[in-house]
Amino acid sequence: MKDPELQEIFTDRAHQEVVDLLETSRPAAPPLDPHFRSYLRAKLMTEARRTLGPQAARPWFSFLRPGALAPAMAAVAAGFIVVLGVEVYLHNQPTGSSVAYNINQLDRKTNVATTEPIKIPFSGPVDKNAIEASIQIEPATAVSKQWEGNTLVLVPNHQLAANTTYTVSFKPLATTPTPNPSKPSITTKPSVAPTPVVVHFTTTPAPVPPAVPPSFNSSNVKWGSDSRLAEAGTILNATWTPAGQLLVTVPAGPAGPSASTGATPTGLPAAKASTDIWLMSALGTRLRLLAPGATLPAAAPTGGLFASWSNSGNQSSLQIRDLQGNLVSTAASVAGVPDRAAVWVGNDRVAYVDHGVLRIVGLHAPVNAATFKVDHGSLAGSVDGQLLAVESTAGSLVLDVASGDTRTKLPNGATGFAWSVNGDLAFTVPRDKGTDLYLLTKGTFAPIATSPSGQTWSDLNWGPDAASILLASKPTGSSASVSNLALINRDGSSLKTFGSVLQEYSLPQWSPAGDLVLFTRRDDGTGGKAFWTATATASAGDAEEQQALAEVDSFMQARIRGDGNAAQAEMDDTARAAYQGGGATLLSGSGSQFDRYYIVTVQRLTTNSTRFLVGVRVFNAKSGVETSFFEEQLTLLRQGQKYVIHGAKASALRPIGHGPTVVSVQVVQSTAGAQVRIRFDADLNPTSVSDSTITVRDAQGNDVSEHITFDADNHLATVAVNPPAGTYQLVVTTGVTDINGVALAQAYDAPLVINR
Amino acid sequence: MPEFEDRELVERAKEDPEAFGALYDRYFPQIYRFAYSRVRDQSLAEDVTSEVFFKALKNIKRYTYSGHPFSSWLYQITLNAVADHYRGAAGKEVELEEGAGLPSNEPTVVDEVVRRDRSRRVWAAIDQLPRQQRAAMVLKFSEDRKIEEIAVILGKSSGAVKLLLHRGVERLRRDLPPELEPELT
Repeated sequence: MKDPELQEIFTDRAHQEVVDLLETSRPAAPPLDPHFRSYLRAKLMTEARRTLGPQAARPWFSFLRPGALAPAMAAVAAGFIVVLGVEVYLHNQPTGSSVAYNINQLDRKTNVATTEPIKIPFSGPVDKNAIEASIQIEPATAVSKQWEGNTLVLVPNHQLAANTTYTVSFKPLATTPTPNPSKPSITTKPSVAPTPVVVHFTTTPAPVPPAVPPSFNSSNVKWGSDSRLAEAGTILNATWTPAGQLLVTVPAGPAGPSASTGATPTGLPAAKASTDIWLMSALGTRLRLLAPGATLPAAAPTGGLFASWSNSGNQSSLQIRDLQGNLVSTAASVAGVPDRAAVWVGNDRVAYVDHGVLRIVGLHAPVNAATFKVDHGSLAGSVDGQLLAVESTAGSLVLDVASGDTRTKLPNGATGFAWSVNGDLAFTVPRDKGTDLYLLTKGTFAPIATSPSGQTWSDLNWGPDAASILLASKPTGSSASVSNLALINRDGSSLKTFGSVLQEYSLPQWSPAGDLVLFTRRDDGTGGKAFWTATATASAGDAEEQQALAEVDSFMQARIRGDGNAAQAEMDDTARAAYQGGGATLLSGSGSQFDRYYIVTVQRLTTNSTRFLVGVRVFNAKSGVETSFFEEQLTLLRQGQKYVIHGAKASALRPIGHGPTVVSVQVVQSTAGAQVRIRFDADLNPTSVSDSTITVRDAQGNDVSEHITFDADNHLATVAVNPPAGTYQLVVTTGVTDINGVALAQAYDAPLVINR
Repeated sequence: MPEFEDRELVERAKEDPEAFGALYDRYFPQIYRFAYSRVRDQSLAEDVTSEVFFKALKNIKRYTYSGHPFSSWLYQITLNAVADHYRGAAGKEVELEEGAGLPSNEPTVVDEVVRRDRSRRVWAAIDQLPRQQRAAMVLKFSEDRKIEEIAVILGKSSGAVKLLLHRGVERLRRDLPPELEPELT
């Protein structure tokens, strides 16, 4: 008798013999119609899709104003998962129904999140290889294909592009079911759709590129809603990638996208626990297994590399991988199992602690750094890779990594280091009844704030604009059964705490775009720590820009409604003449309608002027499906108290789905030069993105580009320029091709304002 | 399947049809098997199983974790569905209430046990047990449920379940035919 429960009940030998017999035998499997299970499943899934709604977001903060959420953030908060609902009723069911499809779950949906995999569930057995081979996605999108039962999961290798209408087509080919001997009267036939199923969906709008930085202002952010990434204990640690995805450590085990794993509810991995590192979407969907058996990932501040520890026997190696999971190099090996993540110092050096001793390794060149005993002291590398803040056993300091010299000695007890993108260092110094918050800027440090008496501050994290600092605040000496998050401006002003007073919050991390905050919260039910995200919408910093964009929206909405009079009212005489003269079309033609628009670029014509150049992309739809688009360059100027449309110039109408397109252009100005950032909607052939296919030209046609870089993960080409202030022309030729070799739909040629 | 995974999947299934589908995939075999063990008829077992999962779908949002596996909830629904069915069918099920018992020399049991193989004989004998004993025995020895879970499913205390199991085994010991006894000793 193996079962302890039964051993407790049955102590008599005669009874034990009966129990032994029962334990070693099982009732015969009941008879079952082989088709009943799939038939019932299909019926259940139809009902489930009808009755189960999307997950409602829960309010995070008591003083929320959800109505203030921008549409893009609302879409993210809603956690929209890309699901194609396809129901295949096989011909051999008792009801004798023929093949039927239901693609209402996604078809023609808008505001679809850019970070989620595309799921295609089938209700019956399918020919997986044939379906995979039939998949086509426009704009070109590299995906990995996985199966979860009868659900095909397409995981994009990079995020989908915002503002983009995707077309996914596939052939839902069913396998030939085995004959049903119990019901020979029912004819069994494979049901093969004669034509591909085509589904269109549109991704969430991207935030409008700011014309006047900093439009994003983390210190004046509006909080939205929170969402738990996964149940407590299923994510052991998490950190953002520069592209806004997450590197997470999870208990090892087989798991596809969205799969769950068992784990003890704890905030940290057990020393000998087997763990894997996954790439996860901001909505909590596992996208890609990056490093089996590894733990403690640390993402490089830019680019697409991360460091992690991988243990084998008594040795652990510090491995550098890319975000496809490819091993780039092994940077170091140590004895034993490290208990802390490595720290990046720029993009080419990594610091780590080997049995209490700080070591720094260069990915491309050796580093000659002094040796420090740090034990569990704080470490943080500056984003530019020049400096490393070290809490050593002999004191805290800022180290010049290149020379190995001490740049700045910090006050006694300095810990909790956090570098801003601007090179400022925030840190804390514990006091008897609280914590002092310090700022080191330009080589000089000073306290900027002190925690309320009885509160301890920790877990500093800068806003992506370096304007404010998030931190965790908990009662001094407490074991942290309650702790809040707080936001404080970089000058120590305007401390705002938030979070339930009954919860324990910690480890806040701004997403790179500033639209989400990642944090941990102790779970009510299990007591374990779970990772959560909360949406944050930055307030615009430039009122003029906001007024101009509001005017564009009024104008465009009138055109989408087909209200010519309302649209005319937003224009001055010059603009009316432009439309009447044929330079642009105010309303859509018969048989079609303007379906939507989005802003491609916003540029201020001269510094502090009240004239803006706004590029908009307008989509034409027929029978509810977008078929073509065109662009307009709108000029706006202030007249009295409001902006008006002053000029308009339209591009030719372009069909959708015939090659990659430019979806946004942003000019980032600085005194050292300007960057022109051009984002595309498709996965491009990197070799086609070069200074011969993308140029910035002056009025005489001379190329003023200095150099060009391409970030495949973000479909982003960046052109560095440094010409005199003025108006230039951005030209992207049809030499740019997607991964399938399809050329840009049409050359992109639009004005640029360099304004420094 | 770790209970931890169940709970996460159930929470997702409250909003996500695919997660509910995964629950169905996970629990169909045992619910169908349990339903069949109660009704002994393929068509009826299909009806009951269908009713169980549609009821589960209808009520999934109200399900709250109570410290017991999700399967306990499904088993409870199954028992209710079986009871509902027989109420509607004017009591066709032969109910053998607690304590009614079988005489030690019940011929139908003996005949059945003798006629079939060793395993089948034992399970056939279980089929003849009173309703509550039979449910407890099936859940314990066929579905490998813990006693505490069986108690939740049957709406009884753990002690009562132990008593049901003890009585069931005792009844089998008494009723098994002499031909089987040498194998047991």
